[in-house]
Amino acid sequence: MKTWKERLGKEWLFWDGGMGTILQEKGLKAGELPETWNINHADIIRSLHKRYLEAGADIINTNTFGANRLKYKENGPYSLKSIIESGISLAKQAREETGRSDAFIALDIGPTGKLLKPMGDMEFEDAYEIFKEIIIIGKEAGADLVLIETMSDTYEMKAAVLAAKENSDLPVVATMIFGENKKLLTGADPAAVVALLEGLSVDALGINCGLGPVQMKEIVGELLEYASIPVVVNPNAGLPRREGEKTVFDVAPEEFAQVMGEIAGMGVSVLGGCCGTTPAHIQKLRKVCQDKPFIPVKKKNITMVSSYSHAVRIGKEPVIIGERINPTGKKKLKEALRTNDIDYILNEGFVQEEKGAHILDVNVGLPEIDEPVMMKNVITELQAVLDLPLQIDTSNVEAMERAMRCYNGKPMINSVNGKKEVMDAVFPLVKKYGGVVVGLALDEHGIPETAEGRIKIAEKIYAEAEKYGIERKDIVIDALAMTISSDHTSATVTLETLKKIRDDYHGNTILGVSNISFGLPRREYINAAFYIMAMQNGLSCAIMNPNSEEMMRAYHSYLALAGMDEQCSRYIDVYGGQDSIQKGPLHSSKEKVTLSTCIEKGLKERSGEATRYLIGEKDPLSIIDEELIPALDRVGKGFEKGTIFLPQLLMSAEAAKAAFDVLKQYMEQSGTVQEKKGKIILATVKGDIHDIGKNIVKVLLENYSYDVIDLGKDVPPEKIVQTALQQDVKLVGLSALMTTTVVNMEETIKQLHKEKPDTKIVVGGAVLTEEYAKAIGADCYAKDAMATVHYAQSVL
Amino acid sequence: MEKKMYWSINRREVRRYLGYGNKDADEMVNRLIEDSICQLEEVVYPKATYQVYPLKCGNDHWLDLTAFSVQSKNLTRNLSGCEEVILFAATLGIQADQLIGKISRKSMSQAVVMQAVAAAMIEAYCDSWQDKLQEIFREKGKYLRPRFSPGYGDFPLKFQEPFLQALNCPKKIGLTMTDTLLLVPSKSVTAVIGISKTDDKCHKKGCEECQKKDCFFRRDS
Repeated sequence: MKTWKERLGKEWLFWDGGMGTILQEKGLKAGELPETWNINHADIIRSLHKRYLEAGADIINTNTFGANRLKYKENGPYSLKSIIESGISLAKQAREETGRSDAFIALDIGPTGKLLKPMGDMEFEDAYEIFKEIIIIGKEAGADLVLIETMSDTYEMKAAVLAAKENSDLPVVATMIFGENKKLLTGADPAAVVALLEGLSVDALGINCGLGPVQMKEIVGELLEYASIPVVVNPNAGLPRREGEKTVFDVAPEEFAQVMGEIAGMGVSVLGGCCGTTPAHIQKLRKVCQDKPFIPVKKKNITMVSSYSHAVRIGKEPVIIGERINPTGKKKLKEALRTNDIDYILNEGFVQEEKGAHILDVNVGLPEIDEPVMMKNVITELQAVLDLPLQIDTSNVEAMERAMRCYNGKPMINSVNGKKEVMDAVFPLVKKYGGVVVGLALDEHGIPETAEGRIKIAEKIYAEAEKYGIERKDIVIDALAMTISSDHTSATVTLETLKKIRDDYHGNTILGVSNISFGLPRREYINAAFYIMAMQNGLSCAIMNPNSEEMMRAYHSYLALAGMDEQCSRYIDVYGGQDSIQKGPLHSSKEKVTLSTCIEKGLKERSGEATRYLIGEKDPLSIIDEELIPALDRVGKGFEKGTIFLPQLLMSAEAAKAAFDVLKQYMEQSGTVQEKKGKIILATVKGDIHDIGKNIVKVLLENYSYDVIDLGKDVPPEKIVQTALQQDVKLVGLSALMTTTVVNMEETIKQLHKEKPDTKIVVGGAVLTEEYAKAIGADCYAKDAMATVHYAQSVL
Repeated sequence: MEKKMYWSINRREVRRYLGYGNKDADEMVNRLIEDSICQLEEVVYPKATYQVYPLKCGNDHWLDLTAFSVQSKNLTRNLSGCEEVILFAATLGIQADQLIGKISRKSMSQAVVMQAVAAAMIEAYCDSWQDKLQEIFREKGKYLRPRFSPGYGDFPLKFQEPFLQALNCPKKIGLTMTDTLLLVPSKSVTAVIGISKTDDKCHKKGCEECQKKDCFFRRDS
């Protein structure tokens, strides 16, 4: 008998159809857990499996879609183990009774029903543990493969796939649920799904549920455009339609099978059904498809990295990788890493995104910090607010693995090189988690001086990667830009290397472009010229500073000149109409506005300018005491009186911050130090994921020169206590939105009072009142952000 | 497809959420409101689902809504005279949270405005559904009561759980909750809508019904 491996992608395979919708017809009640029928209505489940096998299904799903420890709790009436084991046993019995020993039994795994952090409250590793438990039980009970299906979140899917891969050697099939907008609920498009799942080395990927075959067609087309592994399509019997009080799926078997026949012709390998489909659907489907010639899976030579929302393709158009999140030579970023100033790092990300970066390089290597911890933290924070794919840039293998594990997508990895030990350490990670890896053209003997030498190393890297099953398309060769100031021919060697990789190997390349001009004056002249030459010679990705006007001009001009910018529309978008902008409003803003006015009116853009003007007249500390703070106080008073409202209060705070930034820069240069007024911890308590109130308070406290330690949201009491003790913090501000999370606020207060009695606690949040705050032991209730500022002024 | 939008965002309501009461905002803030509406409409992908269940009223304000039973004086009052209920759930989707999260790292003034706009947006979306449902039921000679959500008055928040389970919300519309009963995506609504045979217009909306009379956001405050 042929094995799964011998059949998948080599011949038609047919999956079974709906389970839950059929059980509903047979009397499953709203809210009743369908998997309990494995025990209470075993006959019905077994006979349904049999009907599917008799209809011609090659793969049947166990009735375990929702079987996880969240729904089957440890002390509940049904044990998870018995539910899964009975589910597999019923499928096996059906297989035996129908004599279909050729058929496969898939351990069916659906989503947990919870959202993962940062959007929800479930930790990635907790999701992993939930799936791990299911997979271990299923594997031991004798499942032939694992089907992870109906996932609407790539991150949860990643947790499930890793759990399957790390805890069994069963084949893994992963199918996701798309909406009519051709995206997952959490935002990913088909290309991003393919990038992630191929990276994780699943056996087959695809789409199920949500839509009927007609609506799926376009999405299937996109999956097939990118996928080099077999594609599975399990649609519903049409879109759900409401008939009276019932939801029905009413595409009949004939019609279903006819459209599925068309889908089969597109190059899909496995076909079946989901909600609303029945054994009759599968029977017709098989009949229509089985005699069609099977279309073998085609390898697509497409290089992609992805984020939770989209994929970036490498090799088609030049890709810009923003280099700003890298401490080398950047004093402020070093300081931000040392003080764990995540806001600064995120801002570097935002700015590069706005300037046009496609991917962001992330390097947090500093001798005095714990790089694995910091790398994971920064990746987690960046991917929570930015949807650009990230490039994990480190030589610390532990940091690399932690980042790859927590990354929500297929990352870019920087880097390997021709050294054997480096490849031995990095390639297994790339194979396991997926990624496009940068291969530096250097090895134990250093950097070859000739293009031929560099190509030899590239060949070595390609060959070694292949041993791990990593394809050439997932390697991007760094041809190495070396400064022309020490060797005037170095640029030509680099360019020749680029050209050879493109022409002789059809490979992709990358460069840290600005290295070329090291040691020369006006480096941007050289950089921009070299960048254009490099693109002309085949450069696929540039690691560069997207904030550099010269580089971006080079990029846009190149696209326009190289025929990559139809009707020059992108060029015109960026540079059209700039002349008139420069003349207009800039001049009118020259009319003098005082700093106080800027702050009171919330004029963020102009307060920096007003501050610079004042620096000529007063010293920075006097500006703070005589201008900034009094203006802020006036705004604060207006807010309390009800003449100024929250958005204005915050605009003023932002204007003040812009002024502070200018002053800070000036003081650093002149060596003046402004004393911080004291440390304050801010946190949204455990279980609470709404942090907007806390963030408002933070903005204002920082305005008043307090040193705010922002612990974020959903913060366990222990972490708050520990931070207060470690840094001897005298004031803690806690926020909670709901009665259900105020209990955790109370617990935090209790622990703080016990462990650090001299610390005061101020609380706020929607459900809190003066009395409520007192009852849970807080020292102060702040009804709004200004009240917190006043309390801080009174105790610190 | 659920897109594009057939709602009209109530600007006054947005300002009320921002603490303006009935007052108008200045030009800068009004511009921020308009800008936030545009940005949100660009990314959100709202979804809703509902199911009709028979309702039985017992003694001591016990209500059997089929999917779950609850003891609640306020809900009993809201549903008096009803024989059926709609369990309704709607969400703007996670994209609203993602956008607000991102903006709050860039500019808190814009983030608070966007937060208020999103709150008004989910209300407007629910209202558009309520109108649609009212149309459907009017043809059968039935009328709908105002929405009443877990957490209003003495209708405990813990009913989010059976609510989401009965409607299969995580799978159908991507609506989940935390262990602490917060809905995720955060701009989401679950609500009971009573169905009655009489056109009983005197019922108030949630805000006026609420016992927390000193609330900063109260509509008439």
